[in-house]
Amino acid sequence: MGLIVVLLFAWMLVIAFLAFLACTFEDLESDIGSQSNPNSQVQLAAQIGQVNRFFNKAISGEPLSNAMYCATAGTIAWLLLLKLEPLVPGEEWKAAVLAIPIGVAVAAAINIIFSMSSHCGRTAAQKRFEQPIYLDVLYGHLLPIATHAFMTTFFITCIAYIQCNLGTLSGNPALNHPFALPLLGFIWGITVGAIGSSTGDVHYGAEREFQDRPFGEGKRVVYHGKITRYAGCGVRTQRDIAGFCAKFGGPITGMTFGLIILFENWRSLVGMQLGGYLPNLAASAGNSAVTWAIVMGLIIVIALAVVNYVFVRWVRKKCGPFVGV
Amino acid sequence: MTVTPAVVEEEPTKKGLSFKLPLDETEMGLIAGIVAAIVVVFTGLPAVIKGIALILAFLWGMDSVRKTSKYGLGTGVPSIGVLATGFGVVGALVGLALAKYGSIEGVAYPAVLVGVILMGVIGLVAGILSNHEKVIAMKIPKLERAMMELGMAGTLIILLECSIVTGSLNFNAVVNQVLNTGLIALMFIFTCFGLLHPYNACLGPDENRERTRMCSVEIVGLLCALLGFVMIILSSFSWELGSIASVTISSPWKLWNGVSLLIFGLAVWAYFFRMFIKACMDEAYETVGTGMIKTIE
Amino acid sequence: MEPILIILCVVAGGLLASLGAHLLPVGGAPAAMGTATGIATGTVQIMLGAAMTGLFTAASAATFTDSLLLVALSGAIGATVMMCVVMLMANILYTFGCGIVPVSGRVDVDPLTKEPQAPYKTPQTDGHGVPNCVYVSGMLGGFVGGFGGALMYFALLNYADFSAGTAAIGALAIFVPNAIIAAYNIRGTIEGFHDPKFKRLPFAMVTSLVISLLCGIMVVIASYLTVGGTM
Repeated sequence: MGLIVVLLFAWMLVIAFLAFLACTFEDLESDIGSQSNPNSQVQLAAQIGQVNRFFNKAISGEPLSNAMYCATAGTIAWLLLLKLEPLVPGEEWKAAVLAIPIGVAVAAAINIIFSMSSHCGRTAAQKRFEQPIYLDVLYGHLLPIATHAFMTTFFITCIAYIQCNLGTLSGNPALNHPFALPLLGFIWGITVGAIGSSTGDVHYGAEREFQDRPFGEGKRVVYHGKITRYAGCGVRTQRDIAGFCAKFGGPITGMTFGLIILFENWRSLVGMQLGGYLPNLAASAGNSAVTWAIVMGLIIVIALAVVNYVFVRWVRKKCGPFVGV
Repeated sequence: MTVTPAVVEEEPTKKGLSFKLPLDETEMGLIAGIVAAIVVVFTGLPAVIKGIALILAFLWGMDSVRKTSKYGLGTGVPSIGVLATGFGVVGALVGLALAKYGSIEGVAYPAVLVGVILMGVIGLVAGILSNHEKVIAMKIPKLERAMMELGMAGTLIILLECSIVTGSLNFNAVVNQVLNTGLIALMFIFTCFGLLHPYNACLGPDENRERTRMCSVEIVGLLCALLGFVMIILSSFSWELGSIASVTISSPWKLWNGVSLLIFGLAVWAYFFRMFIKACMDEAYETVGTGMIKTIE
Repeated sequence: MEPILIILCVVAGGLLASLGAHLLPVGGAPAAMGTATGIATGTVQIMLGAAMTGLFTAASAATFTDSLLLVALSGAIGATVMMCVVMLMANILYTFGCGIVPVSGRVDVDPLTKEPQAPYKTPQTDGHGVPNCVYVSGMLGGFVGGFGGALMYFALLNYADFSAGTAAIGALAIFVPNAIIAAYNIRGTIEGFHDPKFKRLPFAMVTSLVISLLCGIMVVIASYLTVGGTM
């Protein structure tokens, strides 16, 4: 194996690690602001008389909002790279060290603006249910939300930057991804949001919001809207929730995205290697490389399906039928 | 998924902080459509004027989203905004491809409006099919018209954004500067948010149109500021984009347009954001520094 | 520039996007509370996430192969891997995080594994988690949706001669209305091919057919008028 191949695999592992961190923070960010699905409970709570001190961050679904932060960060970073890269010829990564954090900071500022407008707007529209705007809730949540979003966007922008320059970083520019940096940020933003919304929300929505209900059952429709308004001590705000979800929901969500990125890139690279495409990029080997990648992907898919089958059977045996009332 | 309230009558706002544009939805659509269409044809206009047209077009689209989503879509408000943007991108591609017919290079491109009209037709067809009893049967009054308007507004918005960044609607110029560079990702997502966020953020039984409109203008201000920044950076550059194309741009005209658009955008954003938050705080049940929650039982 | 092929691919892509959206097990907000079976998010959102993952892989594949089938299959497998990992991890979270057993709410006996479902279900809920038949449906949905997205990308890239960025955003722009129309047709939650709501599929297919056909014609116009330019 040549140096290029080793470097490609190394960068792939870096990307997978960054993806793990990105999605962990993404989940926690949406939990702090009750974005996406559990937001329906926060919205419903006031309507059935449960006035609460939760932050109502209704910035559409997570995929779109994360795509917005990542596309903004990617665009700003890319524009700054255009300006900065000519200043450090031969060592372009130095420009990225400055450009990416600035772009991400702009995205975090935009996040604050949207969070603020959605909390105020939604609460004002609940006037008839006597839900007040608590200023300490409003201001106290903006910074935790923005910092978590900063982390997510930062990691995603780094992933997009690495993939955009993967070939250059590992020695052969022909391996760069055909999409530009903002577009890659947009794509991974949508994906990270879709995963954070579909996996992580369960821990927050089913467990944390309904902690006064029995553990081990789905939350019945009659419980809906009756979110837990009290913490172990005092009134619960959304800030308590990050600490809870960081113990299980966040890391599992992060692992989901990390595994997806790992499998996707790994099978492409292994396919290239088996098909004889690497390290010389022989154009004639392109088809066999893709075929190998598809075969590897099929093996992964079947393995995952089997794991799920065994897991579901094990859980059913372990927990048994429903025994409550 | 969000809980959509029943349709309620609109009450007049109580305090002085209101955003008076005394136009109902039909008048707004007509005015916005005509102004945006004129501005989109004449690409030589200063960027600030295009920014104003952009605000009008977004207000039009937001009205359509609002009157459709009021009845509950089944999947939340965001979907209809994304739908409009998807239509808009396709329409803009066609409009740009047609632009060379009857154009005065760098000044006027009347043929792009064909793209807008074609997209209106597709939107109308989509609306008819979605609302028809025998097909999807969404049973939303005037969905046909709203989807048509959304297709047209989406196309006008994307075209205006392209025209702001490139200063012309020449297909190759737009492809090189907007599509290949990935700027389209930023435009796509901000168009989505400009259309869906105002109503999504203000959703609730006591939502009112004036507040929702302030939120819309605020987001367009933000978008204008970002586009202004893009223009400033792109005003004096010559770069090689991988293997795709080599682009050389250098125009002081663009630089000053960018600076003015950035200032315009920030000013609009700051003014309307303050106005929106103040209006929310005034019109909420009450705004308190801190406090305990109401005890039940 | 091959107008017939472009229209065929775009229409097929749109129809597959619509079919994929119907096959995905979507629980929406109730699933996040363990009140409905499926993935705890909206149809459009998970479909977009899966298709985007597929599109990313397909775009890499398209740089070193020019076979339609291989590019489309790359996209399909990418989306399937995404769906598989998401559903498995959601199950782990349901089980270890909330103590909920995966169970289908729409059928009493799993149509594939013949496991009983009703005794495991919490009363007053509509199922929870991702049981086996739902998992298989999700895999198929991811595969079909990813295939459709990648097919459109390939047609726009190679038949309409657009650049990579233009083709990606164009494919996305045509994919999105189809997925959204499917979501309107589903109205909320769906479990997969065994769900009674799946019978509504033909309505969405008709709409998708018309919309994709019109969009395909638009793409052909755009491609035809700009042929020879630096696309």
